[in-house]
Amino acid sequence: MILSAEQISKRYFRKSGEANHFYAVKPLNLMLRPGTVTVLCGRSGSGKTTLLHILSGLLTPTEGRVLLGETDLYSLSDKELSKLRNASIGVVPQARSVLDTLTVKENILLPSLLYGTEDRSEEAAHWMDTLHIDGLADSRASELSGGELRRTAIARTLCMHPPVILADEPTGDLDDENTQLVFGCFRKAAEEGAAVLIVSHEIDALNNADVAFRMDGGQLSTLS
Amino acid sequence: MKRFSPGAAAALALSAVITVGSVSLLGPCVHEDGSFGSCHWAGQALLGIGLLLAVLSLAALLVKDGRLRAGMLFAAAAAAILGIFVPGTLIHLCGMATMRCRAVMRPAMTLLCALTALSCLTGGIAAYRKAGSEK
Amino acid sequence: MKRRSLAVKNLLRKPGRTSALVILTALLALSVFGGSVVVGSLRQGFRSLESRLGADIIVVPSSAQSKVSFQNMLLQGTNGAFYMDGKNLDRVREVAGVELAAPQVFLASLKADCCSVKIQVIGFDPETDFFVRPWIEQSYTRQLGDLDVVVGSKVESGVGEIIRIYDERCKVVGRLAATGTGLDTAVYCNLSTMKMLLTAAEEKGVSHKVSSDESDDRISAIYVKVKDGYDIGAVNSEIQGHTRKCSAVRTKSMLTDVSDSLSAISGTVATLIGAIWLLSLVILVVAFVMIANERKREFAVLRLLGTSRAMLGGMILKESALCSLAGGALGVLTASMLVFPFTTLIETRLGLPYLRPSAGTITALALAALAATVMVGSLASSWASFRLSRVDPGTVLREGN
Repeated sequence: MILSAEQISKRYFRKSGEANHFYAVKPLNLMLRPGTVTVLCGRSGSGKTTLLHILSGLLTPTEGRVLLGETDLYSLSDKELSKLRNASIGVVPQARSVLDTLTVKENILLPSLLYGTEDRSEEAAHWMDTLHIDGLADSRASELSGGELRRTAIARTLCMHPPVILADEPTGDLDDENTQLVFGCFRKAAEEGAAVLIVSHEIDALNNADVAFRMDGGQLSTLS
Repeated sequence: MKRFSPGAAAALALSAVITVGSVSLLGPCVHEDGSFGSCHWAGQALLGIGLLLAVLSLAALLVKDGRLRAGMLFAAAAAAILGIFVPGTLIHLCGMATMRCRAVMRPAMTLLCALTALSCLTGGIAAYRKAGSEK
Repeated sequence: MKRRSLAVKNLLRKPGRTSALVILTALLALSVFGGSVVVGSLRQGFRSLESRLGADIIVVPSSAQSKVSFQNMLLQGTNGAFYMDGKNLDRVREVAGVELAAPQVFLASLKADCCSVKIQVIGFDPETDFFVRPWIEQSYTRQLGDLDVVVGSKVESGVGEIIRIYDERCKVVGRLAATGTGLDTAVYCNLSTMKMLLTAAEEKGVSHKVSSDESDDRISAIYVKVKDGYDIGAVNSEIQGHTRKCSAVRTKSMLTDVSDSLSAISGTVATLIGAIWLLSLVILVVAFVMIANERKREFAVLRLLGTSRAMLGGMILKESALCSLAGGALGVLTASMLVFPFTTLIETRLGLPYLRPSAGTITALALAALAATVMVGSLASSWASFRLSRVDPGTVLREGN
């Protein structure tokens, strides 16, 4: 399934030089294709995370539209959009996103339980094993290290087999070995048909990219 | 088995109230002429039970062995249940419901002893299970 | 794990937060249930007193003390021993409009060995009595013989036991149903038993003579029923004029006094409950808002994973409803442990008729308290949950970057 952004922009009201608003994301077009790993890099504050949130249906753009296949995300009701995000868009946010009250396994299975879809225990076990957190299945989030939390969030996303994966600095807390492991997992997901977007500033990420973009001051440019 | 036992701690606090209460606010009254009836002896029996409960629950709080702790708490629970039957059933109280032994001592001690028994039983069961799982 | 159990897990795995909310809501339920049981018992006690006082007019000796003493005896069960000339009974009977006039004689025992306290003995005339007899007949249908007594519900002597009053051995032949009034602490006998007891008392050096009158015939109170069609006020004045050193009190005015105290206490309790509720409600709303702020990230993650606003609101509401249900049950239980075992203590302290309402009424009150607590708990959280569901998860997730 193709995720495409058409002329999207995000404008905030804030005193900025002469103007009283500024563009976090300047009007841009972007297409994420199935089977492709797209990498987006850029300095902090360049608008990468804002763009990722718009693409994931979490942040309404000021202008433009985001299409998942033929569906315009922002024309849907909250209920429809939520259900669509649950089934089709896997997001790995940059911030800590594992719930403290649940165990690692429960966190990984959580998305599949929200709408009572099929039992994904086997997939969960598989991803925990792949990401080397299988020994932590029954540990609570408060007992985990930063790297383990990150891998839990990634396993949670991959476990749902979403057609679109949006990952924001997914390897931020990881050592080299685990960074390679995670990029390998995203590559595998792409090979199985997912459209993957990785926001990262790691050189390794660029090495794993099929397509790469740079973001600077809200402006998107292609990296060769 | 070093874990703090909330059941034993609650039992200790309650038994302190029973002990102090039985000779003060929650005890029987002294008659105007200085004499005392059987309710006085009920109060004395409760003082004894309160002390026994305090010693048992304090010991249960301090010991490290789970089975020993469970045993102490079960013994304390039995003593607390005995305490429920002291005023009015085992030892007679005054003949008027408005007298302090009936209006205050009996309901207060029944309540306190019942709560103590409950704390001891839950604490005892928890200690017994914990000891079993550590074997 | 199911989605349904997510709310339960959230509660169980944050025991500190959950217990704080449970205790707060327990306070709400405790105050409303405890307060309403006390007020309900006072109302029930008043109704009981009203139905017990079947007389229209009560005649007591005219000293100011005896009137107060009579009222205290009725309401609080304190001892009363006051007397007037027995001829007053005939004088009352002569007044036009008097249908029935029944005498009673009171005697305060010395420390009776049953009770280690002075008990009130009330002698009545089975021939003319309409005040005590219908009540006694509920538990003892035969004629009371000499030295037979019937005891009030608060006298802890069983049927067949012997009570010694001034060394006279009186046999308990019946126990009365509770009225919640001072009448529950008294012992009842017929007039000839009373005469024996008075003589025994005099032998012990306790005099019960009417000071100005050497007559042996003395009574303490006369209960008067007015014939239909006569004005009670007029009959009351007539009795006042006809009798000597007596004062006739209209039962209605005595009940008004009690009902005034009752309203004052009910008002105080209601104000107190209101204040506790208002305070708890404010604390609950603040608590829910604070908790919501603390959990903003958690809710943003749930939104990210595909939870809709409605689902999230439902989850928060479910958590708060579960919390307040547990708190409500705890509060009702605690109130029950405080109010029911200490009924006699509360009654003695309030000094008003106090009779526990029926089990059905109490159950209804408990359910109402529980429902009100759950409603208030859910209401307090709904504002926080509404605010939260509007929060933009993207912004929240950025905040912690």
